[in-house]
Amino acid sequence: MSLSSIALVATVVVGAGTYLMRSSFIHALAGREFPPAVREALRYVAPAVMAALVISLGFDGSTEVGWAEVAALVVGGVVGWRTRSLPWVLVAGMVTLWLVRAAA
Amino acid sequence: MSVHPDVRRGLRDVIPVLVPVVPFALVLGLVVAESRLSNLVGWLGASVIFGGSAQLTVVTLSAEGAGLAAIVAAGLVVQTRHFMYSAAFAPVFAAQPRWFRWLGPYFLIDQQFALTSLRMDDPPASFRRYYLTVGSTFWIVWQATVALGLVVGPVVPEEWSLDFAVPLLFVGLLTAAIDSRPALVAAVAAGAVTWATLGVPNRLGIILGALAGIAAGVGASRR
Repeated sequence: MSLSSIALVATVVVGAGTYLMRSSFIHALAGREFPPAVREALRYVAPAVMAALVISLGFDGSTEVGWAEVAALVVGGVVGWRTRSLPWVLVAGMVTLWLVRAAA
Repeated sequence: MSVHPDVRRGLRDVIPVLVPVVPFALVLGLVVAESRLSNLVGWLGASVIFGGSAQLTVVTLSAEGAGLAAIVAAGLVVQTRHFMYSAAFAPVFAAQPRWFRWLGPYFLIDQQFALTSLRMDDPPASFRRYYLTVGSTFWIVWQATVALGLVVGPVVPEEWSLDFAVPLLFVGLLTAAIDSRPALVAAVAAGAVTWATLGVPNRLGIILGALAGIAAGVGASRR
């Protein structure tokens, strides 16, 4: 399969799965509740998955990671931690990338 | 022309929430346009998945040549938080007509939950108008902005390195998700296990890392 076909199949499957999750309790599981342990586990899905994605995409060797990239990610991380705002993370990170590259 | 107060309230509330979403959707479109993937992946995903972080995950992993199983697993794990939204809304939707019980969940994205969960105690018809106003406005802006990114993508100079916006977005989502000490433990453990399993084919290390991180988060919260 080509990259695009794989991406299309994955898109449809993830889309269908997403709708099933969004409707799960509204339809099939109405009136039921999560066991507390599952509810607890779901709270840590976002930080765990995002950290796994950042490491996997950033350090697999497919892209060369130089000082500019490292600086941009650090600045983006600090700005995200302080502001919790995605637009500011993007602006701060991209500007850092461009400035460090221009200075090098 | 008179606009229903519930509709007006929905429009008023959704606009500030849209501000951070617009650059996200734009980057998503740009990244698809600049990748080796067909633009169809961007168009289709925007409506079929209708969720930024999951679509970005699918797009990025696909463009990097990950295996289908790993892409689907990572995309679905990113979305598991929607179970919580669905559970929270089940009693509210029980009082709604059938067509709305089928249509409503489609719009149940993070921002939709954040806004409409504040209206759970409104009368059903009022809740429905508010919910549909917020959801459809969000949907239209999302589709239009992803489309804009897809169209503008080829025109943006390569020296701008806009593809770097993707790791930045994931870093931004990561810092937003770390809202407690156990969440920090979850992130560190997931990162470490993913690092240690970088050699595992098809990027299944992401799933191993995520599972380890979730377990570590639960463990840390119990101490």
